[in-house]
Amino acid sequence: MKYTNKLFSVKDPYDIKNTETLFTKALVENCLFQYSHCKEYACILNGLGYYAESLCNTPDFYAALPFIPTLLFKRRKMFSLPERKLLIKATSSGTSGVNVSEIGFDLGSLLRGLKMVLTVGKKHRLFSLKPCHYIIMGYKPHKSNRTAVTKTAYGATLFTPALSRTYILKYKNGKYSPDFEGVISAVRKGAGAKLPYRFMGFPAYTYFLLKIMEEKSIQVKLPKGSKIFLAGGWKQFYARQADKKELYALAEKVLGIEEDNITEFFGAVEHPVLYCTCQNHHFHVPVYSRVIIRDQDTLNPVKNGTVGLVNLITPMVKGTPVLSVMTDDLGVLHKSGECGCGIDTPYLEIIGRVAPDNIKTCAAGAEEIIKNLEI
Amino acid sequence: MILAQGKLYPSKEQDRILSEMERNINRTLSGPPLKIETVISAVDSLGRDIGGGKYDDIIAKLPVDDPQRYKALAAQMLSKEYLELKLRTELGLSSLDMGKAYPTGEVYTSIFPLGVIFHIAAGNMDGLPAFSIAEGLLTGNINILKLPQADNGLSTEIISKLIEYAPALADYIYVFDIPSTDIHAMTKMAEMADGIAVWGGDEAVAAVRRLAPSGAKLIEWGHKLGFAYISGEYGGEELKGLAEHIVSTKQLLCSSCQVIYIDTDNNVELNDFCDKFLPVLEKAAARHGAVSIGGRAHRTLLDYTDMLEGFLEGGALKEQGLYKGKGCSLKVCNDSELELSPMLCNVLVKKLPRKNIVSVLRRKKGYLQTAGLLCAEKDKETLSGILARCGVTRITGLGEMSDFFAGEGHDGEYPLRRYVRVVNRVMAEK
Repeated sequence: MKYTNKLFSVKDPYDIKNTETLFTKALVENCLFQYSHCKEYACILNGLGYYAESLCNTPDFYAALPFIPTLLFKRRKMFSLPERKLLIKATSSGTSGVNVSEIGFDLGSLLRGLKMVLTVGKKHRLFSLKPCHYIIMGYKPHKSNRTAVTKTAYGATLFTPALSRTYILKYKNGKYSPDFEGVISAVRKGAGAKLPYRFMGFPAYTYFLLKIMEEKSIQVKLPKGSKIFLAGGWKQFYARQADKKELYALAEKVLGIEEDNITEFFGAVEHPVLYCTCQNHHFHVPVYSRVIIRDQDTLNPVKNGTVGLVNLITPMVKGTPVLSVMTDDLGVLHKSGECGCGIDTPYLEIIGRVAPDNIKTCAAGAEEIIKNLEI
Repeated sequence: MILAQGKLYPSKEQDRILSEMERNINRTLSGPPLKIETVISAVDSLGRDIGGGKYDDIIAKLPVDDPQRYKALAAQMLSKEYLELKLRTELGLSSLDMGKAYPTGEVYTSIFPLGVIFHIAAGNMDGLPAFSIAEGLLTGNINILKLPQADNGLSTEIISKLIEYAPALADYIYVFDIPSTDIHAMTKMAEMADGIAVWGGDEAVAAVRRLAPSGAKLIEWGHKLGFAYISGEYGGEELKGLAEHIVSTKQLLCSSCQVIYIDTDNNVELNDFCDKFLPVLEKAAARHGAVSIGGRAHRTLLDYTDMLEGFLEGGALKEQGLYKGKGCSLKVCNDSELELSPMLCNVLVKKLPRKNIVSVLRRKKGYLQTAGLLCAEKDKETLSGILARCGVTRITGLGEMSDFFAGEGHDGEYPLRRYVRVVNRVMAEK
């Protein structure tokens, strides 16, 4: 993984122009590795009529590279390294353990991930030596929980020395449930505190917390340097997705945290690249990743600015063939330069999730089918 | 929310209303019978007002492709002429004849309402619960309605309007907005009923069978399957009609086409058919814009994932038979089984040589409803006969599978006959 390691050691995480060739070489390297080490991957490529060697010589290599839907990782476990080399097997969201993807990470992939987090974190000034109180709007780690989102939320509390960690989702009697009261009482202590607070976790829970505080007329001016990090997707609360602007306004009103101090992360266990919003709240594509938006019917790439399925590409992971994955998100890729923040790469906007239309039917057997349609 | 005797009550009054209901029902039954003309005139007034645009704002909110067509259909189905035709066709009666005694052999025979009907309506069609109630009223019954969970308020609105047009209907209608998990209330209502009309899938029907007291008559309107059968030549116009039908119903109705059968045992003919039909279906889908981007993306992802999984199970690309169009697809299958398609303009194409029709369709006998038939004129009688003997209850042209035809039955029955009983009185001493 010579080229891949080199790619993840690049100093400027948004210098796509000067790393284009390196990215392609790293991807070719990963593709050849997966093809010869993962029989399922080879089977899929061959099924589609591709052979890795000739594929790697195609001019438009990463667009031509077959993509695997995250849905297939949920149906089948696919590993390219022996289990003993996979230090971590992380799963997608869903603590039930049913219908989740399982992705294996070896030491090399984890180190690349760490380098990436350090580089991106430095660029976005996520680190500080000043200790912080952490409010985690996500799962409290528990031995039954292997979701990547839990690991990353915990990981984010290492950005600064942690004075305390308060979790909203606590494991009790075999299930997680939200404890808004507990979080609110921790936040209240922040008024007049000297050291800053950092919120980290699901946007939906963060939004609900702010809403509850507003309804109860609780307003706290948190210490300077306090920040909100949003990560983990809106998922099941998509229908209630708050206008982001409303969330920013609420955060300022009830916590005294200004918009500039709110950062959103995007990533998935099947594409563990850290996307981090710029000052204009856009997800610019970093050097480790490429995005292709594909047509909802033909799966062919579409023009920038058009809504379609989000295909994410990275050579980062060795243990599972996730080099090109098709997510179940719908999104738009905007041209670089449309943002104006100074980062010169295209940016990804997530619009929603694919979902069967809300249908009413009297055709026999449909109830069962609809139940099985959940991705 | 509860509607009882013309008044709306909050759900917390449920226990009180339920406990008084038997007494109230008995009082209604002791009084003069409901005049069918009253029902017809109320329904007809509602139909006229719908046709005249009085409820356009409500109709505009419905998730239907063509509100004008919907409106015209509603007005037709609610008209006095249609209701009288229905009574005449299904019961052989005019509106004045309910309860009248006619000599038949050694007895007098009269048709009476069943008594009390408990309607368990499904949420799969807007206004369906109100339609079920209307059939109950048209036969003079007292009606208890359990609204479907997904009801959007339309049914209660229609029912309240009916009571407004004819206040005499108030004693004949009870509406409850309760979940089907409220077994206590469901059982109580079932106990008061002479008949239970249930609309829904296998699960709903089975649940009602468990709940119903053994003396109650079960009137089941279960979910069904529709298909097209093409034998011999097919032309552009017929394919266009079929495409329009598929796209406009999104294959969501009992009568919608799930499988297109071709009278052949040769896969090449199926591929030929798909080559011709896919562009026609694509055009129709583009015109209707029937399915959302998210819905289409969802189907594409499922198909693509299935294809990759097929490789992992040893399949090859060319065996998979998927014809993918914009917003629609056709899938050539190797079997002949009648089954539900993925719906939303994704149709299954299968071979079914006529000699196998009976053995294949009989396996789905409880689910057969509409067959859209295209064949040579000389084969029409024979093929229709075979389909009917298998259990198919509606045979139409390809483009008319979900059209409404005055005078037709419902799933092989005249519904009104299920909602009445025959009463005999011995004429005189022998």
